[in-house]
Amino acid sequence: MSKTLSKTKNQKSRLNILIIDDNEQITKLISSFLDMSNHDCTVVNDGKEGLELIKTNQFDSIILDLAMPEFDGYEIIDAIQKEDPLQMHKIIILTASSISIDIIQKFKNLGVSACLQKPIDIDQLLSSITDIAT
Amino acid sequence: MFKIKQALFLIFGITSFIIFYIGFLNYLKTQDSNMGLLILLFSVIVSVGTLLATFHVSKNLTKPIETLVQRMQDFSQTNIVTPNPCDDGGIQELHILHKNFEEMANKVGETLKKEKQLNIKLKEIDTRKTEFMSMISHELKTPIMPIMGYIQLLKKEELMGELNEKQMNALNEIAISTERLQKIIQDILTAQKIDLGKLSSEKENVQSRVLVENAYRAFYPYCKNKDVQLTMLLDTNDNVYSDPDRVSQVFSNLISNALAFLPEKNGTIKIGTLNNSDENVTFYVQDNGIGISDDQQKNIFKKFYQVDTSSKRKKEGSGLGLSICEGIIKNLGGRMWVKSTLNQGTTFFFDLPKAQVPVDHLDSLDKPSHSNHLAS
Repeated sequence: MSKTLSKTKNQKSRLNILIIDDNEQITKLISSFLDMSNHDCTVVNDGKEGLELIKTNQFDSIILDLAMPEFDGYEIIDAIQKEDPLQMHKIIILTASSISIDIIQKFKNLGVSACLQKPIDIDQLLSSITDIAT
Repeated sequence: MFKIKQALFLIFGITSFIIFYIGFLNYLKTQDSNMGLLILLFSVIVSVGTLLATFHVSKNLTKPIETLVQRMQDFSQTNIVTPNPCDDGGIQELHILHKNFEEMANKVGETLKKEKQLNIKLKEIDTRKTEFMSMISHELKTPIMPIMGYIQLLKKEELMGELNEKQMNALNEIAISTERLQKIIQDILTAQKIDLGKLSSEKENVQSRVLVENAYRAFYPYCKNKDVQLTMLLDTNDNVYSDPDRVSQVFSNLISNALAFLPEKNGTIKIGTLNNSDENVTFYVQDNGIGISDDQQKNIFKKFYQVDTSSKRKKEGSGLGLSICEGIIKNLGGRMWVKSTLNQGTTFFFDLPKAQVPVDHLDSLDKPSHSNHLAS
């Protein structure tokens, strides 16, 4: 449901992005950056709420933090894989550096679009988002 | 080696035989047959008596010694004092020996028990400390991420507007300190992973030249800027089976370390490979810095060790760099060591295992040239 505004080189299409991270400061940073880059952001700081939104809405990409209290990123990925595996390619995972290479490889095998290590590079994040859209 | 029992029987057996023999000879020589019989009888009694006495003494003497030996063996295996299974034959010295052994063993046993408990307690404290450190460093890491993100964001003219020169300078200073903080936290987390044996590595066959070149490229601009001569010397280009990311982490730590201790003028750093053995490629980072004394060399790979710990020290760092390097190299199946002369310089070496597959199989296109000296 990406709202295509124009396709000129300077102005990218406006994308609809979901951010799931329990750290409010990180979601604030990412959403204000994406806002400024002319994208629409939906922010949730809770995993369960995030999964509900994924089920009921169509996003162009989903930025997902792995480590969250109660319902975490792993559980969300599990649920998506069971219920709607076609959404998997929209997911960009934010990982702590303590995540092992095996786990990252496992996510990639499931079809996850990107695994970005924290502290994230915002340019890298933006290019991962636009990669999914194209 | 002989047993007391054997010795006793040998000595007293011969003695009793001699007594009997003398008695017998006397019996044959003596004219008076009554007298002769008496002598024979006497000698038989004496020799039998000697044998019986020997038997008795040997039993009383050797049994307690044998049981003491057995008890000592039991104790050394189980650390438990077994009860004395027999009386000590009424020999005072042996009685004391048994008693002293019991006392000593009980004391040793108690000490060992205490030590064991202390060890368990220490391990508990150590685990809790590690967990705490891990928690703290994760807690520290979380706020760093938005700081770094906003620094990056502020530098985006097209999004945030242009900063004036003073603002840009201030922002750059914030960025430098934040990066340093980030590096320290990263070091602590890596050190913990090494401690817990959880350091992961992704090994592949890689040309040793590539590993040195990566480090060279990463540091060349900085060194040129600081007027430090960085040189690359390759003695071999054999493939190693290793994790390039981890190796570059080691090179980065070693070169940063070398840079910190270089003389103000004419600082040189040489990095390269040596072909010392069939199994390993030796890598090194050599500097002409202040050097490390023999005493200090013993400690530099210890965690948190700083050559200069005074509060006035000039050099910064967590003291984790070298211990991390050693941990990584060990994890990659190699070893690390140092050679240094005070005021002349230091060389850090590390071995990495060579790849099992011959080089030609891996890259027939890019055949390595051996023994080339690539100077800066």
